[in-house]
Amino acid sequence: MPEVTVELDHAGKRYGRIDALQSIDLTVGSGEIFGLLGPNGAGKTTLIRLLTGSTAPTGGSVKILGRSPKSVRSQIGYMPQAPALYEDLTPRDNLAFFGRAHALRGLNARVEELLQFSKLRERGDDPVYTFSGGMKQRVSLACALLHRPRVLLLDEPTAGVDPRLRADFWKHFRALAADGATLLISTHQMDEAMLCDRLAVLSDGVMLACESPKDLIHRGRTTIRVWRGADVNVTKVENYRESLPVTLRQYNLDASVTRIEIEQDTLDQVVLRLIEARHA
Amino acid sequence: MLERMRAVARRAARQLAHDRRFLGLSLVAPLLIIYVSKAALNSLNTGFFDITRFVVPVGAFVVHFITYILCAIVLVRERTAQTLDRMFVNGYRQADIIGGYVMAYTCLATVQSLLVLTALRMLFHLTYALSTLLSIYLIVWLLAVISICLGIFVSNFARTEGQVFPFIPLVTVPGIFLSGLMIPVESLPRWAQWLSHITPLYYANQIIQQLIRPGSALVDNLPRLAALAAYGVVVLVLAMSTLRESA
Repeated sequence: MPEVTVELDHAGKRYGRIDALQSIDLTVGSGEIFGLLGPNGAGKTTLIRLLTGSTAPTGGSVKILGRSPKSVRSQIGYMPQAPALYEDLTPRDNLAFFGRAHALRGLNARVEELLQFSKLRERGDDPVYTFSGGMKQRVSLACALLHRPRVLLLDEPTAGVDPRLRADFWKHFRALAADGATLLISTHQMDEAMLCDRLAVLSDGVMLACESPKDLIHRGRTTIRVWRGADVNVTKVENYRESLPVTLRQYNLDASVTRIEIEQDTLDQVVLRLIEARHA
Repeated sequence: MLERMRAVARRAARQLAHDRRFLGLSLVAPLLIIYVSKAALNSLNTGFFDITRFVVPVGAFVVHFITYILCAIVLVRERTAQTLDRMFVNGYRQADIIGGYVMAYTCLATVQSLLVLTALRMLFHLTYALSTLLSIYLIVWLLAVISICLGIFVSNFARTEGQVFPFIPLVTVPGIFLSGLMIPVESLPRWAQWLSHITPLYYANQIIQQLIRPGSALVDNLPRLAALAAYGVVVLVLAMSTLRESA
């Protein structure tokens, strides 16, 4: 049983009359990659800010490693949505500055290691404002990893990053999780969400679902098309694991069947349906 | 804590050094304003009107004005770029951030005050003794440091750089009308006399008016100097206690 590192107990956040988050119950364990999905304004960033201790919950409680987030900040790595870098300084300067806050031993060596990781060693002395969006994201991620935190809170870490580098990022995320780190990642990319161990779907500050990507997809519908020559028979089923064999049996699959197509809802469609169902 | 404060100071100073346009403007702008004010003050110098009591306080006002605005904007920029958030999450605290900024911007204010006083001396042919000039320099420098704290304090109430602008007249206009710079404080209505204490220029102007009188020395103005320093401490404490993480 992995150690619980992130714990929200009926956590809520209210800004004036707006409920940014409503009574969220959530636990995330060490070694887990947990994804946050939802449209803009769903409450993903607010949830991450509660976990960084940047804002206090107006209801319930938020704990990291069993304590208040502010008291364990040395164990938290945070990558905000914006690059949040000093653009007139170099990546080396930025890394050294954020590293000094943790009084890291061997800071220079760690900075070089992270420049290597982010493939920016050759550009290490160029000002950040000369970088592309993806390069800034790489520096920003490196800043979050500096002190080898046990909990990583990443707000859309791969926005603007090219596919090859994204794959590298995710390889590294997996390696960090394998070492026991907890990663909480907000994203709009469904292919990335599929790489998470569990996902929470948020909409209007409410958690609509919290399960593995596979289980979420299981909530979707499966469309079965069976052709007999030019005639096509279409059936839509839910809970395909149970209902697919039953449905196929009904078709009496004999030699007259010329083609079968089975199409499952994508994660995107499942998430959209969850959100629409809430608004209906 | 001191190590983290020095890290913030070093980083802010490095940013200043890299942003040559910002640095150039913050040093040249006060000189341009001084030059323009010379033209205005010279037109008043008709023999019936003694401009000497205005010259140094105007210079002090210019330093106060520029330092205050620059510092307020830079801190708001930190907030909008989310670097302030990142600093806090990384473990920097209010005292580290404000202390670091005061350290870095004091270097700028030191050069700025020196340039302004040199310009005043040359343009207005000031013939004060060296000890008087050094005392005036100390007051202008102290005012600049206080203006840094004031800029940081005010930045805590603005979420965007645009929101800083309404605060500019709120701080600088009382400085012009209530500090005794233009109108003697004694001739103001009682409520305005009381209000004059909220501007640091009031304390600085009081000392400067004494210092430019023949035979007056800084040691004769220690209570006023203490009042100016106390004002600085109050603003510093206010800035530290109001610097918040979230917008």
